[in-house]
Amino acid sequence: MNQFIEECRREWKRLRVPDPVANEMAADLEADLKEAEAEGTSPHEVLGSGASDPRSFAASWAAERAVIPPPTLTARLRRRSLIHAALAALTLIAAIGAALVIFASPDASAPTTAIRLPAPPYPTSIWTGTNMPERAALARREAELANEHAVFLSQLPEGAVWVQANGGIVLRLPQAHGPGVEIHTVGSILLIVGIVGVILSMLFLLWSSRGGADHSSRRQTA
Amino acid sequence: MASAEGRRSQLLRGVLDLCLLAVVEEGPAYGYEMTKRLRARGLSIVGEGSIYPLLGRLERDGLVETYRAASNGGPPRKYYRASRKGQRALAAGMSEWRSARDAVDAVLGLVDAEVQP
Repeated sequence: MNQFIEECRREWKRLRVPDPVANEMAADLEADLKEAEAEGTSPHEVLGSGASDPRSFAASWAAERAVIPPPTLTARLRRRSLIHAALAALTLIAAIGAALVIFASPDASAPTTAIRLPAPPYPTSIWTGTNMPERAALARREAELANEHAVFLSQLPEGAVWVQANGGIVLRLPQAHGPGVEIHTVGSILLIVGIVGVILSMLFLLWSSRGGADHSSRRQTA
Repeated sequence: MASAEGRRSQLLRGVLDLCLLAVVEEGPAYGYEMTKRLRARGLSIVGEGSIYPLLGRLERDGLVETYRAASNGGPPRKYYRASRKGQRALAAGMSEWRSARDAVDAVLGLVDAEVQP
């Protein structure tokens, strides 16, 4: 009997039922159970099915009496902010995963993969005059620079991001089929984890916006 | 087909609040005293939900009033009695119950007449 009442008290404390109300309910319960015991009546006769589940019984009683204080505004805001932060983080994870899956496709045959994102469509050289020898020399010089640029790009360390003067961006990815981590697999895992996390977070957000756990406990009836 | 226990439980769940109002209409009573009055009329709540949450709901809805008073040789108890609103709710609930009971009796009586020789 005492254990049942103690369990109820714990539940009321967890639900932040005001102490005077919890004390009153506990005293009434204790008096009723003592009287029943003295008359040889089982707790099941007094408590019904609640006798086997003190926590549920206590929560239901407190909810029906409307003595469970609603969560404070700051607590609700904090919880909502946390959910939004988790949503943002999971979306970022999903985006990174998607980028890795797209850019590190498993059929890449090169030992390393360099991806060039397109540069804006404007000319890199402006030709003036009609002096052909000068034009040929400039073209040769441009070819040499392009070659040097290609060599430079091939020597970029893995994971580097190079922004070119003309606005182009070069991403240097690690080996897609290297002996270590499979980038494509990692990307797939991140994508799945991100998408599942986003869905779960949105469901949780929806559930908590409809009252969440407090609403559930209030719906428990006799 | 629901078991006999399950059906009894569902039937009782719909009218237990009326039963409690009827019990306190007889005279103020505390929780365990109500259980005893119900049992004296053949209504045991073993296996059913407890009456305490239901009393909480009746109190919250203003259908019962409460006060503390000493019991026979025991600690002070919380007594419940029907409020005006509770008395009106009891009258309305009894009318609904009788109407539903008569309708069900009419249907079951028809079957009974066909089955019995």
